[in-house]
Amino acid sequence: MNGAAATIGRDLGRIFQALAGLLFVSLLVPLVWGEYWAMPALFISGLVPFVIGYALTARFQGATQPSKLHGMIIAATGWFCVALFGSLPFLFIAWTLEVGLPFVETPSQTATLAAFTDPLNAVFESMSGFTGTGLTMTDNEEVLPRTLQWWRSFIEWVGGVGVIVLTTAILSRPGSGSLTLYESEARSERIHPSIVSTVQTIWWIFLLFTFVSILLLWVVGMPLWGAINHAMTGLSTGGFSITDNSIATYDSAAIDFALIPIMLLGSIAFPVHYLILQGDLRNFYTDLQTRWVFIYMSAGTVVLTALVYATDTYDTLFTAFRYSSFQFVSAATCAGFQTAVDTTNVALGRWPAQAQLIVAFGMIVGGAAGSTAGGIKLIRSITLLKGIRFRVAEVFYPETAVRRLKINGRRLDEREVRQEFEEAAIISFLWFVFLAAGTFGLLVILPQGEYTLENVIFEVASAQGNVGLSAGITGPESLPTLGKVMFLFNMWIGRLEIIPVLVTLRTILDRGGLYR
Amino acid sequence: MKIGDLPYVGDPLEEGAEDRVFDSLLLLGPVIVALIAVLGRSALTTGIAIAYLSSFVGYVLYRGVLEGA
Repeated sequence: MNGAAATIGRDLGRIFQALAGLLFVSLLVPLVWGEYWAMPALFISGLVPFVIGYALTARFQGATQPSKLHGMIIAATGWFCVALFGSLPFLFIAWTLEVGLPFVETPSQTATLAAFTDPLNAVFESMSGFTGTGLTMTDNEEVLPRTLQWWRSFIEWVGGVGVIVLTTAILSRPGSGSLTLYESEARSERIHPSIVSTVQTIWWIFLLFTFVSILLLWVVGMPLWGAINHAMTGLSTGGFSITDNSIATYDSAAIDFALIPIMLLGSIAFPVHYLILQGDLRNFYTDLQTRWVFIYMSAGTVVLTALVYATDTYDTLFTAFRYSSFQFVSAATCAGFQTAVDTTNVALGRWPAQAQLIVAFGMIVGGAAGSTAGGIKLIRSITLLKGIRFRVAEVFYPETAVRRLKINGRRLDEREVRQEFEEAAIISFLWFVFLAAGTFGLLVILPQGEYTLENVIFEVASAQGNVGLSAGITGPESLPTLGKVMFLFNMWIGRLEIIPVLVTLRTILDRGGLYR
Repeated sequence: MKIGDLPYVGDPLEEGAEDRVFDSLLLLGPVIVALIAVLGRSALTTGIAIAYLSSFVGYVLYRGVLEGA
């Protein structure tokens, strides 16, 4: 076994052990809710990654620290394997009800849960959860056992911050190559010089905000179990719900408006949260991304409100504002909660096509880098816009002029501008390439004439942006097998910002002799 | 026993804003959620939850004003 495989094996082992810990902790839920029949399935689901993880870490204990290449491979394969192992509770619990248990009485099987007897549906749900997407293979979340309702919310909550961030916070120690792994999981901002301290602080902030969110939702009228689950999935901008109609089930303006700040909290970078908790409130407007979170959300809300009100989608201006503000924030923060649903439970079903495309635009841009939100990210969009303006303005200056570009308080010289612009352009270009490829693929796969082009673009953007709003295409029956596999890939690359997945695929093809 | 001595979660909990009020709010959060789970929705539990939220928002603003001054 060579050194690279040992390093990757050791770190994957740590990630699997952390995942096993999440599964073992979750045993409390069936215990509290009296779903004892779910406990063996959950225990075995935890035992599998624990044993594999333990074997890998023990076998490769003395492996070297990961390089940048290793980090990317660990992040990509780690996330994929976590989605695989994370699907076991769905699969095993569904099969427990299918075949029954000898000593414990099991409830009767439901059509919703039976969908998870298909391993692909279980992996889809798990990948959607961990990546914070929120597209689902369930028909009716309300009939799911509490254990699976919790597991769906829990994996979104953990995935929002990051599986590697979790592993680093709990299992790693300073100087163990944590920075390389941290950066491979689409994060770069530091709160403290030490990366372990940084990720521990991120978890501290996330935990505090979770309790604040739970109590806020409960105070405005949501039942406690719903408040716990929706606070976790709202703050992590994941968007899984425990109700059939998402947040529309509650039909409460107070709950809608309480969820908006929770989703916004999730779309602001953790280092900014840290500074604000330290008392530096100026970061709300001095930090470029945070300032633009508010400008962009406000502008989107105003445009959408005007559009849906002008097209008579809603009777009153307040109702138009209520649904537009919630849906734009839900899309742009990549949470994916729904309030504007029609009788067929399709997101934005009553809305005109141009309003749906504005929401799709929000999903593509996404929230701040360093937050739990998906999409291309605000900082990249701003860098692209400023970079284009910088290039266009170049012809108006003499060749000898020394010019600098100011982004987020930093004054970049020509070389730095080129570097930042190139990075933003590459990610954005790849993002649109995969969006176009996914749209084309889905148009080929889906039955002709059943969905419009804007429906298909909306659905692919939702999967790749890790949003979770659905135009009705995603479902255990409605989405063909090839479409599910394609969406698994879209969600995976969307969460890791594409590059680590491409690097991993190239490495695999290279090793297999297919690339060269 | 200090919070940092707790297995696994000790280190992460010891980090954060390094502020006693925020640390207390973090530790009180699960206690209040458990209390609500046991007692249900009542004037008392609603009052406690509102007090918790007010303390959080109030303290963030207080620190902001204090730091800004």
